[in-house]
Amino acid sequence: MKLALREMRRRPGRFVVAWTILALIAVLLMFLGGLLDGLLGSQTGAYRSQQADLIVYSENARESLPRSQITPEVKAEVERVEGVAEVGSLGSTQLGARPEDDPDSRDLMAVVLFGYEVAPRGVPEDPPGLGKVVADSSLRSDGVSVGDTLLIGPARTPVEVVGMVDATTYSGQASLWASIETWRAVTDENRPDLAGRTTVQALMVRVEAGDDPEKVAAAIDDATGETKTLTISAAIEALPGVSQQRSTFSQIIGVTALVAGVVVALFFALITVERTALYGILKAIGASNRTLVGGVVLQALVVSLAAALVGAVAALVFDVLIEPGALPFAATPARLLTSTMLLVIAGVVGSAFSLRRVLRVDPAAAIGGTP
Amino acid sequence: MRLAFTEIRRAPVRYLLLVAAVALLMFLILFQQALQDGLVTAFVGAVRNQSAPVLVYSVDAQRTLQASVIPPPLEAELRAVDGVGDVARVDQGTFTVEVDGELRDATILGTDNAEIFHPTELVEGREPETAGEAIGSSVDFAVGDEVEIVPFGDAEATTITVVGLARDVQLNVTPTLFTDSETFAEADRAANPDVAVVLPNALAVVPASGVSAEDVVDAIDAAVPDAEALTRTEAADTAPGVAQVRQSFQIIFALYVLVIPLVTGLFFLIITLQKADALTLLRAIGAPASTLVRTLLLQVGAVLVLGLLVGTLLYAPLSQMQVGGLKLQFDAGSVLAWAVLIAVLGLLSVFAAMRRVLRIDPVEATIGPGVR
Amino acid sequence: MNSNPSVASSAESNDPSSAKSGPALVLEGVRKVYSSGGGETVALDHADLRVEHDEIVALVGPSGSGKTTLCSIAGGLLSPSEGKVIVAGEDITEYSARKLTEFRRTSVGFVFQSVNLVPYLTARENLLVVNELAGRGSRRSDAKDRADNLLKELGLADRADNLPGGLSGGERQRVAIGRALMNEPALVLFDEPTSALDSKTGDLVVKLIRDEIKARGTAAIIVTHDDRITHYADRTVRIEDGRISA
Repeated sequence: MKLALREMRRRPGRFVVAWTILALIAVLLMFLGGLLDGLLGSQTGAYRSQQADLIVYSENARESLPRSQITPEVKAEVERVEGVAEVGSLGSTQLGARPEDDPDSRDLMAVVLFGYEVAPRGVPEDPPGLGKVVADSSLRSDGVSVGDTLLIGPARTPVEVVGMVDATTYSGQASLWASIETWRAVTDENRPDLAGRTTVQALMVRVEAGDDPEKVAAAIDDATGETKTLTISAAIEALPGVSQQRSTFSQIIGVTALVAGVVVALFFALITVERTALYGILKAIGASNRTLVGGVVLQALVVSLAAALVGAVAALVFDVLIEPGALPFAATPARLLTSTMLLVIAGVVGSAFSLRRVLRVDPAAAIGGTP
Repeated sequence: MRLAFTEIRRAPVRYLLLVAAVALLMFLILFQQALQDGLVTAFVGAVRNQSAPVLVYSVDAQRTLQASVIPPPLEAELRAVDGVGDVARVDQGTFTVEVDGELRDATILGTDNAEIFHPTELVEGREPETAGEAIGSSVDFAVGDEVEIVPFGDAEATTITVVGLARDVQLNVTPTLFTDSETFAEADRAANPDVAVVLPNALAVVPASGVSAEDVVDAIDAAVPDAEALTRTEAADTAPGVAQVRQSFQIIFALYVLVIPLVTGLFFLIITLQKADALTLLRAIGAPASTLVRTLLLQVGAVLVLGLLVGTLLYAPLSQMQVGGLKLQFDAGSVLAWAVLIAVLGLLSVFAAMRRVLRIDPVEATIGPGVR
Repeated sequence: MNSNPSVASSAESNDPSSAKSGPALVLEGVRKVYSSGGGETVALDHADLRVEHDEIVALVGPSGSGKTTLCSIAGGLLSPSEGKVIVAGEDITEYSARKLTEFRRTSVGFVFQSVNLVPYLTARENLLVVNELAGRGSRRSDAKDRADNLLKELGLADRADNLPGGLSGGERQRVAIGRALMNEPALVLFDEPTSALDSKTGDLVVKLIRDEIKARGTAAIIVTHDDRITHYADRTVRIEDGRISA
């Protein structure tokens, strides 16, 4: 086995070739994964940061927040259901925001104004007062900081940013978290077609400690007869585009890993032919098949890991360099780890391809001068 | 040429592996190209493939139809701009609908003048003639479908009949229906009973005679700061999300396209180095350098042609399917463009191997590793 | 005279009659100097040599004596720094690399010491390869017949479809000889043809070389230490420190 490592150190050239290409594929894998995570993250941040257990939509909304409407009566019914500890309203409106010092700017910040009662992580338990919001930190790249005033919508409704929170974007847009009253006031002023409603879009529900959220969800739907209640993770999957993006990207990542396997097989096939003489000699002096196979696998492992390292570093550098608003990209440790594992598996399996020839080498041929 | 293919025949595995790598990469590129196209079409097909040359949104909407709203004073201002010819209102809403007992999402676009705002390519059926009729996106509906808007609470249900189908007219990856303002208003009332007034989301504008679309866009933008006018293509290409999709894919394509010539180039360099002895021998006994170079080019050409062919064949059946709700298309034009690009890069990639071949000095056949 | 469909195109063959009866090789005052780093190495110093059209010359000398350089120049693998090289009436002294390549293809044969065969071609294919690569060579069927005949003469008829990996050392050497003779050269250059062979195989190869060369009336220069060869060679030329003696 040590011989295998020594070979790599003494004659790096041939392995550097395989490493170069695998590194490029590793960058591809990590980039695809990072893109997927970034896209999903920016679309679902507002949901993932929720501390509640369940979200209640109206049934006819088909799990779509903008189409869902919950009346005060339904809310009251939900509050009465067994196992429900706390119920909070949730409303959202998509609007454009302008900075206070540039009220006629044509280049707006796309924001989603949420009215909430049950706070997501990082947002104060008690919603800010009227006209005040907590802003998602992605707005920093637009120059927004705590204390600024933003002008929302065509009516330029002023809101004051009293705090910031991380990772609560929704549908790729930055969110502003406010009280239900603020949300209604701003919406009425800016969306005359949505004005005057008494409904909210959804309810966030915290379940009593120890109770099964799924059971409570079913109970809520039974009680009201017109709601669809989901756990937060199920709701995230149901967000538009999430499952499609996940499956499509995963397929692409899978086939790319396959390419990595083929490339490793290719380069080990090229290298092995040169080494049949070497293997013959090793076998003649007593190396077991297992040792030789182990050596090959070890080399594939080292090359793949070295390539994965390059990919990971590239992904992290990219993550740091791009502006948060420019391209959705997130280099998470979990993703880097799975990409690495994928590459290593592809590499080891690919190297197995050349093992047949290694096993077939006849030690007797080592003596007497091979061609 | 015989030598090129004899060599491949004697060591088929390595060449086949290379072909496999090229094929898989080509497949991935085609797949992602179609995905990108499909995604963009599914997002903004309705905007790109409708008849009005200019669309006007409220500037706050940042180019999304659903966030845009045109209140009456704004509408009046816009109609008054110099160069604006005929104007139609465009309503947009997303609804839960039931078709054949199945619940689905649908985007409904309503207009008060279907002559100005309608899908450009009708593939089946006819245009709506009365209220309650609509043209549907062809991948989602069939002529004759009865689309019931699922009412909220005890509001009155309403049904729309699909009388025609148009291609590539989805909006936001949702089944889409084109109908008139009246029908839209009924649907809106069914789903949102407490809606006070239905305001148009956007205006579809035909420039006055003698005025170009670009001129009208400039005129509107200059005269009405609260509105944003876009030509049809701009409205599709610069919609938020589309640019991001394109950008992300750009980077991905670049990386994939880089991998192919890297793999072929290094492969041929390695095997050229491995057979340096045999090549020196051939030069020594009188084989011209150009012949050896031709052998190399023939081999890489064969690998590329086969790989690209197999990759395309792998992709063809996929292009008939829907992936994640997106309909993929087999665009012969872009397949050809990618094939040519990859072939050229692949041929260029063997430059290093070629140089090595040309650098062979036949006298090394005698001198060998050391001078005697 | 050997009818040479394969060499018919050689435009530089000045005089067919002189090619037949004139000397196979004339080296006049040939010098080969390599400059490297600080100084100069003289590999060949004013070498004069004349090999008649059907002569077998054994070339002996210690290693580093210039044997390889001489053979390389005679075979058109190297150009001299000074002097003249005329092979079968053709003055190749000033030939460009491309013309030398064509010359090697049509007029000389080589049996090298180390690599002689293309490892991924069969014995027969190795014989046919240069004819094919030249493009303008003779028709494939003619060449194939010639190759098969040669293989038969060399006792390799049943090994024609073997790759070099499937041939013994002696068999490979015989294929190399066949390849050297395929284009019916005026001069064949051998580099230590028996040094890697056991005595029995060596005997066989020595005999084959002698028979084939003599039968064709071709000239040959054989670099060797082998007494069996010097024994039947027409003459032995000694070379030392780049100078030919006797």
